[in-house]
Amino acid sequence: MIHAASGTSRRLGQLRLALVLLPVLLITLAGSLSVAQEAVELEARVFELAGQLRCPVCTSESVAESSSPTSLEMREMIQEQIALGRSDAEVLAYFQDRYGDWILLEPPKRGLHLLVWILPAVVGAAALVTLFIYIRRWTKAGSQPVEVDPEDRDRVRRALGESQ
Amino acid sequence: MNDLLTLSTLGGGALYIALALAVYAFLSGLIGAARRDARLQTSARLAAVAAFLAVTVGIVVMEVALLTDDFSVEYVAQQSRIDSPTWVKVVTLWAALEGSILLWGWLLAGYTALLAITAPNTVLRPWALVVMQGVLIFFLGTTIFAANPFTHLPNPPLDGPGPNALLQNHWMMAVHPVLMYLGFVGLTVPFAYAMAALITRLPGQAWMTQTRRWTLTGWGFLTAAIIAGGWWSYEVLGWGGYWAWDPVENVSFLPWLTATAFIHSVQVQERRRMLKGWNLLLVTLTFALTILGTFLTRSGIVSSVHAFGDGPVGPIFLAFFILVLLFSFGLIALRWDQVRDRAELDDPVSREGSILLANILFLALAFAVLLGTIFPLIVEAITGDKVTVGAPFFDQVSVPVFLIIFLLMGIGPLLPWRKAQEQTLLRNLAWMAGTGLLFALVAFLFGVNRVYPLLTIAVAGWNIASLALLIHGAIAPRLKLTNRSAVQVFRQYAFESRRRFGSMIVHFGIIVIALGVTGASGYRIDAQMRFDYNVPVHFQGYDLIARDGYREEVPGRVTIGAIVDVERNGTYVTTLRPRINSFGQSQMDAPTPDVLYRPMHDLYLSLAGDVLPGQEFVVLRVVQSPLVSWIWIGGLIAVIGTVWALLPRPGRQRQRVTAAKGVARAHD
Repeated sequence: MIHAASGTSRRLGQLRLALVLLPVLLITLAGSLSVAQEAVELEARVFELAGQLRCPVCTSESVAESSSPTSLEMREMIQEQIALGRSDAEVLAYFQDRYGDWILLEPPKRGLHLLVWILPAVVGAAALVTLFIYIRRWTKAGSQPVEVDPEDRDRVRRALGESQ
Repeated sequence: MNDLLTLSTLGGGALYIALALAVYAFLSGLIGAARRDARLQTSARLAAVAAFLAVTVGIVVMEVALLTDDFSVEYVAQQSRIDSPTWVKVVTLWAALEGSILLWGWLLAGYTALLAITAPNTVLRPWALVVMQGVLIFFLGTTIFAANPFTHLPNPPLDGPGPNALLQNHWMMAVHPVLMYLGFVGLTVPFAYAMAALITRLPGQAWMTQTRRWTLTGWGFLTAAIIAGGWWSYEVLGWGGYWAWDPVENVSFLPWLTATAFIHSVQVQERRRMLKGWNLLLVTLTFALTILGTFLTRSGIVSSVHAFGDGPVGPIFLAFFILVLLFSFGLIALRWDQVRDRAELDDPVSREGSILLANILFLALAFAVLLGTIFPLIVEAITGDKVTVGAPFFDQVSVPVFLIIFLLMGIGPLLPWRKAQEQTLLRNLAWMAGTGLLFALVAFLFGVNRVYPLLTIAVAGWNIASLALLIHGAIAPRLKLTNRSAVQVFRQYAFESRRRFGSMIVHFGIIVIALGVTGASGYRIDAQMRFDYNVPVHFQGYDLIARDGYREEVPGRVTIGAIVDVERNGTYVTTLRPRINSFGQSQMDAPTPDVLYRPMHDLYLSLAGDVLPGQEFVVLRVVQSPLVSWIWIGGLIAVIGTVWALLPRPGRQRQRVTAAKGVARAHD
């Protein structure tokens, strides 16, 4: 369950720290000046969107999950985009333009990527149809009278007759 | 002489002896089984025990090397560190690939030895042991020739880097991997018996009844491992989640899906003598998927799309995976005449019908998860494009399938075998649908307004009604026959019908998990905020007041942390200390969030910035996850249910299946 998460050294030099944290601080400061509840709402949307973007420097974490500097930066960028009044789709498109389809955790529904959406449906449907066909065949087999060898039947009759 | 007597040669030697014993047990078992030579079979069984002892020596030597910081052993040099706490050194055994495979081999040798000692003497046993030895030879061979942890370093370093920071940061490291391997290894036993059944041309149900406990044990361990892994992620990854549809998680989920299908469809064969081939297929698939999962995650091909078959272990597991598939499907094809069912179905609306449908859904979901996991590889191989298949895809595919499975989970156990009575069925359905609607309505009044959460809550109500109807249906007729109290009758039923009642507990646990997942993923609130010291910040009904930051250095570990008081409506609730640990020279830090566990929601604080002297604030990631602890509680309930089903009935001697009985059953 543990994957090699992006290691970020938190013992950063002052400069690097300032570079990374300054935007965070400015924005959280701006957020905390307004009503706190609003800031929460805004941030929640940032994380919702970040959850749909891949952290470009991690093995398989989203921007919402990762704590790498790149992800922190991208979360800031999302925040900026939202502040500019962009819609969710526009924010995602912004990152798609810069990084390509690869940045989206949900593969776009076109071209070869369609396969990952279609195949499970096709396989699932095929399996259900097969099951349906088998069920019909088995139900028929279940409803048919059992064929009994006439000799066997006679033997059973004789045995029953003797016991009576 | 001193150079010869190192821990490396001792441990490596033990593994060679173990391998030799396993090969002997394999061959003597094979010949003994083929010639029905009881002496050779006994010899093979003794060799299985000896092989386990030899691997145990290897494990002990590795632990000694880890605990005494013997860096002349390469694995120790690469994975351990002198100033780690003792428990970390002990569990460093499975902190990396070589040790993990050694552990897997040891557990497998242990199961094989246990089987050799305790398994009833049936015609299947010698062959099953041969198959187990075959798998063990693969693991020991891989350990010795491809991933040897006992490689000797002529110039040992003075100290090592220590294990991955995330691994040594939580005691779950001592639990989760072992549970996972116990699950994988447990599911090897029914596979081995299935193969034995095919080899001996007895593909009846003897192999299933003889391995019922093993299968359920394996499933229980796997379930516990997945839930424990989720909790571990929650406690160490620092983003308040527990499951990210990461490839490593997916490949542990795949065998769980097929194993779950298997433990249900087994009942159809037991009761209705059908699905022989299907069950063989499922148990093979389950075993093969544990191997495939190891290949996918250990070769590095899914986490890093560029390193195709990185390292020697990946291709070896891939080759073994293909070998397992060829061998088992070849065997099934060879024995097709015996495997084929003369299946009959009275009515699709029956217990067997519902299990069949659920089976198809489990398999379809397993296919989707596998496809999603390897899809980036496929696309890159074809077009060279890079694509990511992440959580949004898996959520969209799995949630609807699981909702239908949950519907079946409610209705299936209420349906009788063969054919349901329409009137009873309709009455039950009315109760269940009514309860489901009521649940959804109440949830809606409390503000739940999204579709999937509402549906999940409705399905939870549906299942709770189903469980109530099941228990009522079991108790009511018994109550009429006796003048004892309902509680006494219930107790008697729970203890006597262990399998049935155990399954009810497990199903209840699954529903609790489903509700937890719904709350945590549908209504989670995630924020990152700045906290000036001693200034309260309002968050979801809580007032959070950061008091101070601190920095703590102990040998081998540096911790930075914040002290945050949590208040609700002006009353003090608790003090949380979110921290970040860094270990030794490791460049990787381990977030150590602090959580306020509450039944209805968790408050989760994670440090999101540095804590410097003179700094008058901290930046924290603050997460409120509704119902998330229900996932762990539900997992616990499911495990308790599994144990309940496994315990022997009271006051009745456990029936020993004799060889004659086994054969007789196999001929059914």
